[in-house]
Amino acid sequence: MAETLRRVLSGYSAVETREDTVEAGPPLLLLGAPGSGKTALLFAAALEAAGEGRGPVLFLTRRPLQSLPRSTGAALDPLRLQKIRFQYPPSTRELLRLLCSAHEAPGPAPSLLLLDGLEEYLAEDPGPQEAAYLAALLLDTVAYFSHRGGPNRDCGLIVALQTQEEGDSGEALQLALLQRYFPAQCWLRPDAPGPGECRMRACLEPSGLGPRTEWCVTFQLDGEMKITRWPTQAYDPSSVKSSSPGGQP
Amino acid sequence: MAVALPAVVEELLSEMATAVKESARIPDEHLLSLKFIFGSSAIQALDLVDRQSITLISSPSGRHVYQVLGSSGKTYTCLASCHYCSCPAFAFSVLRKGDSLLCKHLLAIYLSQVMRTCQQLSVSDKQLTDLLLIEKKQEA
Repeated sequence: MAETLRRVLSGYSAVETREDTVEAGPPLLLLGAPGSGKTALLFAAALEAAGEGRGPVLFLTRRPLQSLPRSTGAALDPLRLQKIRFQYPPSTRELLRLLCSAHEAPGPAPSLLLLDGLEEYLAEDPGPQEAAYLAALLLDTVAYFSHRGGPNRDCGLIVALQTQEEGDSGEALQLALLQRYFPAQCWLRPDAPGPGECRMRACLEPSGLGPRTEWCVTFQLDGEMKITRWPTQAYDPSSVKSSSPGGQP
Repeated sequence: MAVALPAVVEELLSEMATAVKESARIPDEHLLSLKFIFGSSAIQALDLVDRQSITLISSPSGRHVYQVLGSSGKTYTCLASCHYCSCPAFAFSVLRKGDSLLCKHLLAIYLSQVMRTCQQLSVSDKQLTDLLLIEKKQEA
């Protein structure tokens, strides 16, 4: 669901463009250290998709959100909130059961599937085949939702995965495996903050040969999230291209 | 399938599909290319297709899953929308070592799609859930 996140970060809403088809984009992995704002961005993506006049948004997370993150632009419109269905599978087994039986659930097909805290589910069953099975089932569920939604009603998928500051080799292996299934990634990396705020650099790497784009995501003390385009890249595309695909930490 | 194969494989499969439509057979040079890309898996996959070992299982919901009856008599479950097979070769050669693109069961599914020789089976929505979940029990 690279395109939904791109719309969130770019601060323009698909509603305003009045397109008949809203592009879902490839499945996206949202990566960042603890406290880097992954949940806030997921929630902003949920609000964005809920405002697109399509199916509901399915938000899977192990435990209820502590507080509703302050959103950018789109205010917490109760109509949008109503379209976000939260479900809290408490274990990997329950998550698998939910995904495997998604076709038994009544109602319209979701337009976006979000999963927060993939690392917690993977920790229970860390083998490569288990991780691949979970990733593949997420994709299969979304493919089924797209099928049920009908033509031009693709269901998107964004999954947040917590990374450690100093990744060990096991984590690198697991990430390489997940990248098979999630061709697009968005990294959140800490950046020098101003006084009383927390600043992250968001780097969106779409699948294939698409250009990567960077934003500056700032969380102020009151929790409000502000997003601006990363200043340098608009003028010098070559420097963006030449930097390593993983980016700087 | 959502997770893309390398372009060369996609192209070969689509050429094979065209050839099958026109002449109801796969030209020898395509079989040679297949052998070149996939090695011994190509022969084993074609053998699975010949034995009609591939079944597309669907439920009224429209969701579906593939099952492939392996040469050893074991049944493997393969997801229809992206690369996943429950066989040990997929876990080892594809996921862990990364030296194969596909296992023979996934290749057999692609080939049976090309040759339109897939068996079809309809089950209830509940049964399909169990088929997707049963995987887990086998592994445990």
